[in-house]
Amino acid sequence: MKHLLIIILSVQFFTLSLFGVDATLKIETDVEHRSRIALVDGSSVPNPKVFNILLSDLKISGHFLADTTHHQGDVSSNLISPALKGKEYVLKYSIDQQSGSKFFIRLLKASDSTLVFKKSYAVPSKAKMPFLLHKAISDVNNVLKYPDISWINRYVVYAVYTTSGRSEIRLADYTLTYQKAIMKGGLNLFPKWADAKQRAIYYTSYKEVIPTLYKLNIYNGSKQKITSSQGMLVCSDVSKNGSKILLTMAPEGQTDIFEMNLATGSKTRVTHFKGIDVNGRYIDNESRIAFVSNRLGYPNIFKKSIHSSATSQVVHRGRNNNACDAHGNKIVYTSRESNNAFGKNTFNLYLTTSSSSTTRPITTTGTNQFPHFSKDGSVVLYLKQNGRRTSIGYINLTSSQSLLFPFNGKKVQSIDW
Amino acid sequence: MTHKLVTLTAIAALFLSGCGQKTPDLDGSISNISDENAISGDTVTIDESAYGNEGSQNEGSQVEGNYNSSTDGFASIYFDFGDYSISSSMDEKMNTNTRIALSASSKIKIEGNCDEFGTDEYNYALGLKRAKAVKDSLISQGVSSANTVIITLGESSPVCTEPNDSCYDRNRRVDIRLLK
Repeated sequence: MKHLLIIILSVQFFTLSLFGVDATLKIETDVEHRSRIALVDGSSVPNPKVFNILLSDLKISGHFLADTTHHQGDVSSNLISPALKGKEYVLKYSIDQQSGSKFFIRLLKASDSTLVFKKSYAVPSKAKMPFLLHKAISDVNNVLKYPDISWINRYVVYAVYTTSGRSEIRLADYTLTYQKAIMKGGLNLFPKWADAKQRAIYYTSYKEVIPTLYKLNIYNGSKQKITSSQGMLVCSDVSKNGSKILLTMAPEGQTDIFEMNLATGSKTRVTHFKGIDVNGRYIDNESRIAFVSNRLGYPNIFKKSIHSSATSQVVHRGRNNNACDAHGNKIVYTSRESNNAFGKNTFNLYLTTSSSSTTRPITTTGTNQFPHFSKDGSVVLYLKQNGRRTSIGYINLTSSQSLLFPFNGKKVQSIDW
Repeated sequence: MTHKLVTLTAIAALFLSGCGQKTPDLDGSISNISDENAISGDTVTIDESAYGNEGSQNEGSQVEGNYNSSTDGFASIYFDFGDYSISSSMDEKMNTNTRIALSASSKIKIEGNCDEFGTDEYNYALGLKRAKAVKDSLISQGVSSANTVIITLGESSPVCTEPNDSCYDRNRRVDIRLLK
């Protein structure tokens, strides 16, 4: 039977301590396509943290209606509590962190206890436990033939300021449960994934007299100098096959966007403007870029073909749209919607297309910045500031599900996923 | 010389891939559906603590209410919120900077800085516009462009971290120093 629910969320936060929803999103979704699932913890010591991570994975996937009760029971038994018979699936699991992390799951059909899937996962590190959980939910999702959600397995890389003139580049899982500094000290900024497999990053180093772009292999520590520029140098985007990058450079003191061919080292100047052109992102099969420019006297989103001069305005609303990300022809951008010189301002995120055909808000309250698409473009990561509290947020653009995780770090400089 | 500490605690073959060898489940049985993953690949930690922005280590001096976080006799130039034009109130400081720059024995580094209210790349670009404005002013007074280097430090190097207007004013600045 088809259940069509139209839910208007007006409550500010979901009650679970680990995460909450972005408020007042209008969610229209056909729940027929989501599986009703319950989690049953069979660990020798039930672990609320593990339960909450699993729950957030199920929720942000957009493919499950997860029971939010932390049930407990024997992981190896096929017995299903009568209270859970109304679900479609029961995911039994156990976590063991006596030595490293071991995680075991059994997916049962709730109606007849049929075993659908079971798998065990292990990692030598206790800290990497969240990745086991994400992988397990990603596998369950695949077994049930839902669209891929492997983006939950990816690292988030971000830079934070530690003290004046110093920063750290850190890795995290998407919930920020796992965090590790991969570059400490110095002033190293704007980390950007260099390859789809997340084996290397680009980052801007201020160790030399002028900003210098390096590529760092995060597994063996090898570094390769890519280029340097007086003024400013940022790797803003990487082509799908990793052969080209978009740079914000200022060799003559004016920021413009360049495309660099990594095989030849040659650079093509894509924008020519005496004001500010920054934040280039590939769009439309990498034939064009979206970027931020103040060519109308205020920061806004524009697009331009890489090989011709025509530039056109993408966003026709707002007077301060100062950051964007793109995936295919989709563009998400930040818009400042208040004008306090100092203190709190409202920043919201909007989703549009390179043809400007439709534009809709995806946040409605607070300070929402640093938007980034997941690799498949289905989810947007962002930072939400609420008073002094910073959270990392995710919005599933298909299901409109959203999550927030506390970000107890220093001031974030830049982030990539 | 680069000082880095690379910590490699483990390199394994696969990370979260599905081709690990079958091993006993936690309950001792062998999984008949899937394998157990070998998870690997610890990442490095590189320590560059020996490096930092030299300007950041200068909290700035204050003489009769005039803050200055430049060095070598130069005077910091301050800007209004969101602005990158040099106001007439900075004329005297720019005269000082021009005089010192014209007699400088080495290149001059001009660093643009911002307050904390911008985001990401755009704020860094704003810092660069400020550095460029100071550079252009110096060049107009006869300083050789070849003797200048400009960079932006965005909001990375505040000299003041108190949440008040006078503090924000001090961070929207251009610092000048000799390249050594």
